[in-house]
Amino acid sequence: MQLLEHPIDDFKSERKDIMPPLPVVLRLVPLLFYCSIAVAVILSSLFAIQLKLAVQKRDNHKSQTGSITAQTQAARSERTSLETEINKARDIQNWVAGSRPLQPLIAAITRSMGPSSSIVDLRLDRDADNPSQIKMGLRIGTDSTKQLDITVDKITAMNFRTFSPTQTLGRGELDYKVTLMLQDPLREQTLETPQ
Amino acid sequence: MNAIDLKSILNFSAFRPEPDDPSASWKKRFPSEKTVFFGIGRAALSWRGIGRGSHLGEVELVRADPKEILAQSSEHIKPLAEQGWCSISLNTRYVISLETNLSRRTGSEDMLKSNPRSVLGGRYERGKRYALTHNPETNSSILLTFDEDQTRKTEGLFTEAGFRVGRICCGAYELLKHALAETNTKKGSENPVSNFYIICCEGAVCALVQDQDRWVELRSRTDVYEDDPTPITDLLAPFHSRLGPEIGITLACDEPVAGLTDRLATVFQGRTVSDLSKPALLANLMLQN
Repeated sequence: MQLLEHPIDDFKSERKDIMPPLPVVLRLVPLLFYCSIAVAVILSSLFAIQLKLAVQKRDNHKSQTGSITAQTQAARSERTSLETEINKARDIQNWVAGSRPLQPLIAAITRSMGPSSSIVDLRLDRDADNPSQIKMGLRIGTDSTKQLDITVDKITAMNFRTFSPTQTLGRGELDYKVTLMLQDPLREQTLETPQ
Repeated sequence: MNAIDLKSILNFSAFRPEPDDPSASWKKRFPSEKTVFFGIGRAALSWRGIGRGSHLGEVELVRADPKEILAQSSEHIKPLAEQGWCSISLNTRYVISLETNLSRRTGSEDMLKSNPRSVLGGRYERGKRYALTHNPETNSSILLTFDEDQTRKTEGLFTEAGFRVGRICCGAYELLKHALAETNTKKGSENPVSNFYIICCEGAVCALVQDQDRWVELRSRTDVYEDDPTPITDLLAPFHSRLGPEIGITLACDEPVAGLTDRLATVFQGRTVSDLSKPALLANLMLQN
């Protein structure tokens, strides 16, 4: 004979609404719920760390951009000051170029005068804004323009270029007005070389 | 689905049997919760805490009216059970008898609870609760009859004391079933078993004579003994002359009774005494089943 161990007989007043336990497979539901919470927490932590790093990076970039902008600004202002200095230097150079002694020019003009010609009036004006140019006003006591050609040749020989020449002949006097500009031989060479 | 259902799913309690689900074992109902086992005699109350992980605590026994003991000691016992759940072995006001020709139709076990008259026929009495163990080889059955009033009173008593009753059983009957299951292990009638079963639980004694697989005689008495085993042997001594010479003795006690095996060997001279008793045997049975 075989008698198996049976469940204990219970004499307690039975509750009618006792529910059987849910199937074991459904344990996946709370397990997945807890897993999703854990994953959410992990991902949130990762995102928070990433966000913190990104903010830190952005701040670093901002500060780098600021410092670079400041450097650029400083370079610009330095450039501006350098350009100002260059302009000033150029002005000085022009001034120096324009303020060469005019005595050789005057001497050349005087020596160019022939026996029948004389200088009535010689005027040399130099503009402060454009000191490289010399405005010359020459009145020669002569009856022909031949003397003027000789004088202009002498002036050209002194490396001056003439611009806007005007001449008026009347009553035995020749009134000649011209703008002179000293010709820099080195510069001329530089300009001529590409041609 | 309300918040409580949702909570029960999230804390996995919905996947365990309900605490008062009689179809589930105690261990499955409370896998990680402290509970308490009570043993009730007519004038004695014992209790034992069951810790988390089903660890059995030490048993405490007080001999007095259980109602008074509960009133005085409930505050001391309550911390042993977290939610107040307890299992009760009621060892008084019951009858274990040997019956024949009871219905064994499919579902008769469930019918015994809902409509016992259909199973028991003329043996049915109003106001009683029943449990049955059938002999698979013969038409005899062991019938446990409990007084419904007594179980209700017991439930009320423990509820008033602040406990939640998860189970009420008869310790002696469960020990008898255990002893039968331990000794009758081979299918069929080729190896018939003869035994004289002696069950002792909380002062109650039950004796069953099994001769060649047939259940011949059954005696059950409550409140027989306290500490001294003499009343047990005095009660059982008359069986000696009625037992066949080949019948051995199988003893099962809820807790080992000091000196009982020796006394039985003296009274039942020439018979082997097989002692199934172990410390906390009934508590272990209640826990595992």
